Amino acid sequence: MHFATYIGRRLLFIAPQLLGIVLVSFLLIKTIPGDPAVLMLGPTATPESIASLRAKMGLDQPIPAQFAIYVKSLLRGDLGTSWQTTKPVLDDLVQRFPATVELVTFGLLMAIAIGVPLGVASAVNPKGWLARVADFYGLSAGAVPDFWLALVFIYVFYTVLGWLPAPLGRIDLSIIPPRQVTGIYTIDALLAHDWQAFVSSASHLVLPVATLGLINAGPILKMTHATVERMLQSDFSRYEVLSGMPRSHVVRSALRNALPSIVTIIGVLYGFLIGGAVLVEIVFSWGGAGQYAVQGVLNSDIYPVLGFVLFSAIFSLVVYLIVDLIYFAIDPRIGH
Amino acid sequence: MMSPLSATTPADARARDLLLDVRHLTVEFPTVLGPARIVLQDISFSLVSGEIVGVVGESGAGKTTLARSLLGLPPVPSRIVSGEILFRGRDLRTLRDAELRRIRGKDLSMIVPNPRGELNPLSTVGQQIAAVASVHLSLGRKQARQAALEMLKAVQIPDPARRMDAYPHELSGGMAQRVVIAMALVCSPGFVISDDATSGLDVTVQAQILDLLRTLAETRHSSMLFITRDVGIAAHFCDRIAVIYAGRIMEIAPRQRFFFEPSHPYTIMLLAAFSHSAELRRQWTVPDVRRRTGAGGGCSYADRCPLAQDKCRSVEPALTELAPGQFTRCHFPVVRR
Repeated sequence: MHFATYIGRRLLFIAPQLLGIVLVSFLLIKTIPGDPAVLMLGPTATPESIASLRAKMGLDQPIPAQFAIYVKSLLRGDLGTSWQTTKPVLDDLVQRFPATVELVTFGLLMAIAIGVPLGVASAVNPKGWLARVADFYGLSAGAVPDFWLALVFIYVFYTVLGWLPAPLGRIDLSIIPPRQVTGIYTIDALLAHDWQAFVSSASHLVLPVATLGLINAGPILKMTHATVERMLQSDFSRYEVLSGMPRSHVVRSALRNALPSIVTIIGVLYGFLIGGAVLVEIVFSWGGAGQYAVQGVLNSDIYPVLGFVLFSAIFSLVVYLIVDLIYFAIDPRIGH
Repeated sequence: MMSPLSATTPADARARDLLLDVRHLTVEFPTVLGPARIVLQDISFSLVSGEIVGVVGESGAGKTTLARSLLGLPPVPSRIVSGEILFRGRDLRTLRDAELRRIRGKDLSMIVPNPRGELNPLSTVGQQIAAVASVHLSLGRKQARQAALEMLKAVQIPDPARRMDAYPHELSGGMAQRVVIAMALVCSPGFVISDDATSGLDVTVQAQILDLLRTLAETRHSSMLFITRDVGIAAHFCDRIAVIYAGRIMEIAPRQRFFFEPSHPYTIMLLAAFSHSAELRRQWTVPDVRRRTGAGGGCSYADRCPLAQDKCRSVEPALTELAPGQFTRCHFPVVRR
């Protein structure tokens, strides 16, 4: 069928796409000033020891050769070693990437739960009070920085009210994290029937998820509002009204026609937030992949950065593939 | 007193019941700067059961606005400012939204041009027709689908069972037009407005669709308001014909009189435009130089009228009865001696 060939073709393109992404990010990272050998050895290092370490790390070779070495080890599943954590980057990322995915996924779900209904409501009734609330909300969500909102939340809900745990990671220090299956603590805890771990990890999620959700509902709300409004003004909606169809029916088909745009913005946000949530991760000491990559950039630790780029590129490609599959399911005009 | 434009003769009008009676309908289009522009001015006409009334005019004359206003949905941002739209004795303007919605598509439906844009691109044709049937006739899923299929057969779509599951983009223009007709007629409405339904179709398809429309209107005893730019189509199709120009009815007359004894210079110009006589066309056609400058007093057609005199530019003529059933809005109507 069309469908299968379509997916096949998309998957075929993933490998060259990834190679391109890795090449570009490799070159970009190499242009960052700073010598890891110097940083690793500290201020007391002699020029000889630096030179020998550079030779050991392959830093004395020309850049194309360095790239070839990196790609070759990639094919073996070796993403290099982080000199900061002294662990293989793959191990670090397997642990940290799910943390970010968990945070971002729940944050985005919350953003959808706020943005889509508010957007639809304000498109349906542009003069209602809900539309005014949505308008104001869309503006302020775009103006408030996420880390600031996070700090306010921490102050109110942890410092003052004491309802939620301290912003120190994903789970109470006294609780052993559940055995890693997906790497997402809430799910792993449920799989292990570990109630205590579930409650703890869920309560740690509340504030960072609320931060991301409230901020990112803004663009979703705006996109939903704009497209549903446009669909409601289109000829087919008007003809449904002329045919005496109930309001709910008209709104439903307008929303369905608006879905491709809404799904697109959600997909874009999803890919973006993997790195874009880093400030929230830092505020909550989340220990996610974004935080890991930023540490890498600041300390000329290039393999964590490259590993992060690779992971998030794969993640984005998968998200875009899913977005395309959703188009496929919604719109009969695509692929026929 | 009844609206003077009811039907061919007063006796006729009493004998058959009045289906639609529009009285002094005025629609405005608000402008950002300056006063609102009047799109429809004091439109009055009526229609009895089974009658087909044509409305002809150039584009921009207000035909579509008239069609949509009758359903209570004038094109945004224009709005109805005064007048009554009596449908089966009830003024549609006084009805609440929910009541209007029950009438729209069920008793009073509309066939639109450019049908492919008017259908929901994400639903199949069968679903869309069935949705109308199930909402208005309270049919179950299966019955509604059955009704949709019957309707597709009635509009003579080739291979109707397969077309049920087709999406609008898979249809040709002619087929999409048939689907819209099926949607408009699935509830057997008493009154159908056809807004330029055949424009943009091939001439052969156009003829088929017109035949189909007439047959369906006859078998379902539906009345029709048939809006078109083509005087020729109106000639074949309509019992009475109204001419509108710049939002006003200029002349309304039974078909026979309309074609053989037109009285308004604008009507004659329209007919001349379709005539084979170049001489006639030259004589009556005046280029549209100063187009509808607005309410400057006087006849709105005066600037283009070859017979215009001073009075025409200062005093607006009223619609007056020239012969039984023939009304004209002209100070100096053309009368054949």
